[in-house]
Amino acid sequence: MDETVAEYIRRTVLKIPRDEIKPMLQKWGFLSEAQLQTINFHQLKDNISQDVVQLCEENSADIKQAAVLDIIYNHTYPNKRVWSVYQMNKTGEEMDFFDLTDFKKKIKRQLRSALKNVTITFREYEDNAIWIRIAWGTPYTKPNQYKTSYVVYHSQTPYVFISASMLKSNLPLLCQALVVASNYHDIREMELRSHSLNSLKDIVFKRYSQNFQTYYPKPLQERDVAPESDLRIIQENKNEKERIERVNREIFGDGPQPKLEFAQYKLETMFKSDPKRDVLDKKEPFRCLVKFSSPHLLESLKSLAPAGMADAPLSPLLTCIPQKARNYFKIREKKGLFPGSFVSP
Amino acid sequence: RLPSRPPHSWRGKMEGGKAYSDGVFAHLEMLEARAREAAVKQEEMEQQEEKLARLKARVQELRLQRDELRAKVELQEKGQLGKGGVVSDPAQPSARAVLEWKIKSVKATLQVFYLTGISGKLTKRGVCFCISTAYEGTYLDSYCLDLLIKPEVRIHRHSVPVFIPLEQIAKKYLQTDIRRFLSVLSDHLNAYAGRRYQADQLQEHFSDQIEGTLQRNSLCNLLIFNYNVSSKSQTFLLRVRLLYGDLCCSLPTEVVVSCAPDAPASLAEMAAAHSDLFRRTALHKAFRSFGSADKS
Repeated sequence: MDETVAEYIRRTVLKIPRDEIKPMLQKWGFLSEAQLQTINFHQLKDNISQDVVQLCEENSADIKQAAVLDIIYNHTYPNKRVWSVYQMNKTGEEMDFFDLTDFKKKIKRQLRSALKNVTITFREYEDNAIWIRIAWGTPYTKPNQYKTSYVVYHSQTPYVFISASMLKSNLPLLCQALVVASNYHDIREMELRSHSLNSLKDIVFKRYSQNFQTYYPKPLQERDVAPESDLRIIQENKNEKERIERVNREIFGDGPQPKLEFAQYKLETMFKSDPKRDVLDKKEPFRCLVKFSSPHLLESLKSLAPAGMADAPLSPLLTCIPQKARNYFKIREKKGLFPGSFVSP
Repeated sequence: RLPSRPPHSWRGKMEGGKAYSDGVFAHLEMLEARAREAAVKQEEMEQQEEKLARLKARVQELRLQRDELRAKVELQEKGQLGKGGVVSDPAQPSARAVLEWKIKSVKATLQVFYLTGISGKLTKRGVCFCISTAYEGTYLDSYCLDLLIKPEVRIHRHSVPVFIPLEQIAKKYLQTDIRRFLSVLSDHLNAYAGRRYQADQLQEHFSDQIEGTLQRNSLCNLLIFNYNVSSKSQTFLLRVRLLYGDLCCSLPTEVVVSCAPDAPASLAEMAAAHSDLFRRTALHKAFRSFGSADKS
């Protein structure tokens, strides 16, 4: 077995949390159950990984199998990477039957025709997600297995999720391959990035809870009604509290919010001051960047009004994030009669 | 009656002891005067209070009368409009009238479609439709659309899966014929739900007959898999490719069942029979019939 492959497998196993090593190796399926039984999973992780490499040696693992283990690891822990969302367009209305075998062939052909040294691995999952792992090389060097790109694509959708940790020069090639293989015409990067892959999917696939007013009977939710703690305490602001709750629910829905870590607003707006006090001689727009960060941005925005830190309803610039499917905004002056601001596409 | 001044004689006696009578009697006089004043004031106050009470009562009466008269006037005004109809010029329908007509027709649409699994509710700015899907008696997912009515009908937000060609359907029908739009969209969603249900049922109940993985896609309009059949106590592998060319249909338009080239002729016959069956029956039902056929 190749030294580099052995080292790669060893490092991959080291990344896995101790309790997950055996289940992940079982999912991998490269080592037999009997072989797995011989490993003591209670010893130091260093030793566990050595044992695994030993067994892989016995089975003559090559880089292809090692790559599959890497995909399984990244599929189990997708939040360790930052994912960007790309949107594809097609002008025609032909129906796409999406043949998976065809798709894989096209990707491989596109990438390999441009770059000989590249490792491409595919893995499909139950929810129609296709994971593609690509290790890039150059015409003179072997693929670097540690600088890999991941692509997640759901068939017959215009969205691709890419986690690139690679030379920027390979990105156009990857995008081209995706467009051709999925029968679209072009692709562009969306202003939407996050660590949480599932939340990005929720946003673009519209799987997050939107509060639709319908007559469709919703199951009565057991809402936790806090027991009247002390009848002597009177809620003076009860009406206002209820109004805030209602407005919040209308905007954010009842369910959990998609998980985003930040929202960034680039402002290029004019400073508006008292015309008598002309602060700036030159009428140039102020350039300023406002960035909201949080472990869970949308949940924290949802709790701002009930906590009394902001008025309800919140500014639409904040609440439009899931619907507009973006967390990077550019705000410029509106050119026209009414000086205001508008959000650029 | 207040006591009048003391009689003359008394006075005389008072005048006798002048210093003494000035003190006590003056004091008494003063007290009398005070008492008189107080009594007068008291009477005045009582009279005033009575007057006030009377006036208040009068105010109440007048208010009641006013309210009654107001109600009468309003009733009359309403009655007049009802009899007279729209006061504005009927020749040119106002924007308000147009909007009212739109809302009325939308309400009519709601009534018509309620039973077909499409329900809707008027919102502040438009309508919110909910399309429920079902397949052969089993209720499946529901999908919602929030539509805005003015300035033109457009989709504000929705929960339709991204692989359903919503934009295409909207471009064709949304502006011109809302009913058709909803009907076509409902067909797409119901067919998709039906195809997915069949594939899910197949994987759930007949996984032992399927060899390898079931290749499917988001729309469930292309299924490729291998399954084994037993014939004369021997198991053979058949490969099937189901293509659902019509997105509004939950049965395939193209079925290819193939077997290994060296397989016996009876197997080829079986493949043809299966191919025909898949074209006509739901996938999981077809497999169920294989099972029962085997047992017989």
